[in-house]
Amino acid sequence: MTDMTVKGAALAAAAAGDFSELPIHNPSVECASRERIRAIQLAGLIEQVAWTYERVPWYRARMDEQGVSPADIRTLEDVRKLPFTDKSVLRDTFPYGLFAVSLDEVVELHASSGTTGKPIVVGYNAHDMDLWADCIMRLVQMAGVVPGDRAQMAFGYGMFTGGFGLHYGLQKLGCMMIPAGSGNTERHIAMIEDYGTTVLVATPSYALHMCEVGEQMGFDWKASTLRVGLFGGEPCPPGLKAEIEGRMHIVCTDNYGLTEVMGPGVSGECLASRDMQHIAEDHFLWEVVDPDTGEPVPDGEEGELVLTPLGKQAIPVLRYRTHDLTRVTCEPCACGRTHARMRKVRSRSDDMLIIRGTNVFPSQVEDVLAGIEGVAPHYRIVVDTARGLDRMTVHAELKPEAFSDSFQQMEALRRLVEERLKGVLLVGARVKLVEPGGIERTTGKARHVEDRRKPSA
Amino acid sequence: MSVRQISVFLESRPGHLRRVLDAFEEAQVSVRGYSASDTGDYGIVRFIVDAPERALAVLRDMGAAARIGDVLCVRLNDEPGELARVMGVMADCGINVTYSYSLISTYIALSVEDIGRAEELLASEPVELVGQDALAAPLARNEGRRDA
Repeated sequence: MTDMTVKGAALAAAAAGDFSELPIHNPSVECASRERIRAIQLAGLIEQVAWTYERVPWYRARMDEQGVSPADIRTLEDVRKLPFTDKSVLRDTFPYGLFAVSLDEVVELHASSGTTGKPIVVGYNAHDMDLWADCIMRLVQMAGVVPGDRAQMAFGYGMFTGGFGLHYGLQKLGCMMIPAGSGNTERHIAMIEDYGTTVLVATPSYALHMCEVGEQMGFDWKASTLRVGLFGGEPCPPGLKAEIEGRMHIVCTDNYGLTEVMGPGVSGECLASRDMQHIAEDHFLWEVVDPDTGEPVPDGEEGELVLTPLGKQAIPVLRYRTHDLTRVTCEPCACGRTHARMRKVRSRSDDMLIIRGTNVFPSQVEDVLAGIEGVAPHYRIVVDTARGLDRMTVHAELKPEAFSDSFQQMEALRRLVEERLKGVLLVGARVKLVEPGGIERTTGKARHVEDRRKPSA
Repeated sequence: MSVRQISVFLESRPGHLRRVLDAFEEAQVSVRGYSASDTGDYGIVRFIVDAPERALAVLRDMGAAARIGDVLCVRLNDEPGELARVMGVMADCGINVTYSYSLISTYIALSVEDIGRAEELLASEPVELVGQDALAAPLARNEGRRDA
């Protein structure tokens, strides 16, 4: 754990390597043997495929085409016989085409932000809401959240799954919810002070913004009641998390999830292995495949994560292609849980940029910036073309303390960033230094990349 | 004798300098001279003001990248050949002027590497150095502008 003031005995023990004082929500499942987990998954898969085949015409048609019936699912590996589901399917069947239950039974709708065209809409029945809350209760306890904690929500509520998803789970656990919602940073900070907030739910970039605003207001983070940050909504690079932990004096974890398979809570970080997240394996069957061929990659190697929710009733997607790149290990974890751990998603296969024939991931840019003193780990990448060639420009935020009254020194810093980027990306990028605070902090998915190139014909 | 200079990092985009000036105005900081230079993407804007500490606090409150430093300030007579004469004195004393810009009326600010040494060298030269106080006074009194 990073250098910080850890508040509370359980977190202090965890910081010292003893995780026994941290709660585990459902030990009989979360700490079950691998054999038992596989048995739970197989039973869940068989039931899920039957449920889906019987109730969703789209899947029945695909499975019939491929000559596979629910009776063909006898082992976990048989999942490979099933068709993949891509995001486009949810878009094409908008709004209710994939629903497996009567709308009378649906108790809540959510939708993804929908950057292109129509949004993706998903529904939940009461059973799904329980399942979702179960996932949330697990991951918040991994961070040491306990009943009685006071949790302040800085996600927007609305159609985004993050707000209500965390809200219901935390409330069900027995936390006092403070549904502040997104925006109005000064008010957020005042509420922490007034209500004795102990847990903050936010995107990491918004948490950092709160931290900066609080510091400017003279708010004493170290003395505040806040002790845990629950992050989501966007990937959280390790450097950024360490910075927030150090400056806000809290322990932060982030979770992974996506609207199409449920929302937040598919997997969550435990304090024993901080670059990994435990997948709720009884609720989600995972596969890691080659993004190009769809074939499984060897155990432990990187590939695209494919998820099949187990027991989810209202929208039962099969083999959802996440486009998120990760690797998964089933090795035991020091926290005591046996559920598989996925390496945190740093890049999506569809986030990848191809610059003059070279693959570039925004996470690489993030890594380079995190390693340079004079710039903040916020960035924006703009790609356009100049004389027919791709041109990449990285906007990096100058740290106030790195400013000097000398163009030579500013240019030296700028060139240092350029050189380091070139070393890692293997393709040249122009660096523009921008003012502190000049990169937008988002409350939803951070928009790091702007590709202005015309789509090729 | 020297004066304080505030430097601030600004992107070369419409409205960025104005934001700083608006904040100065609100804090009743009066700009007595400034220079804005750029690299195309960003620039360093240097200010000499009547209340440098307050100006710096304003910028820090805004979260801006800003610094405070010292420069020499010389009062020139408004007559032909005066700038050449003063720069000649600098050259004769072996003082390298890294950059220089003019302030209100015939004051010029000069950035040099070693202010203390420059002051010593210039003490016996026909050059009138001024301090912060001289800049706080309204122009009319020093220059005899005859309005009201």
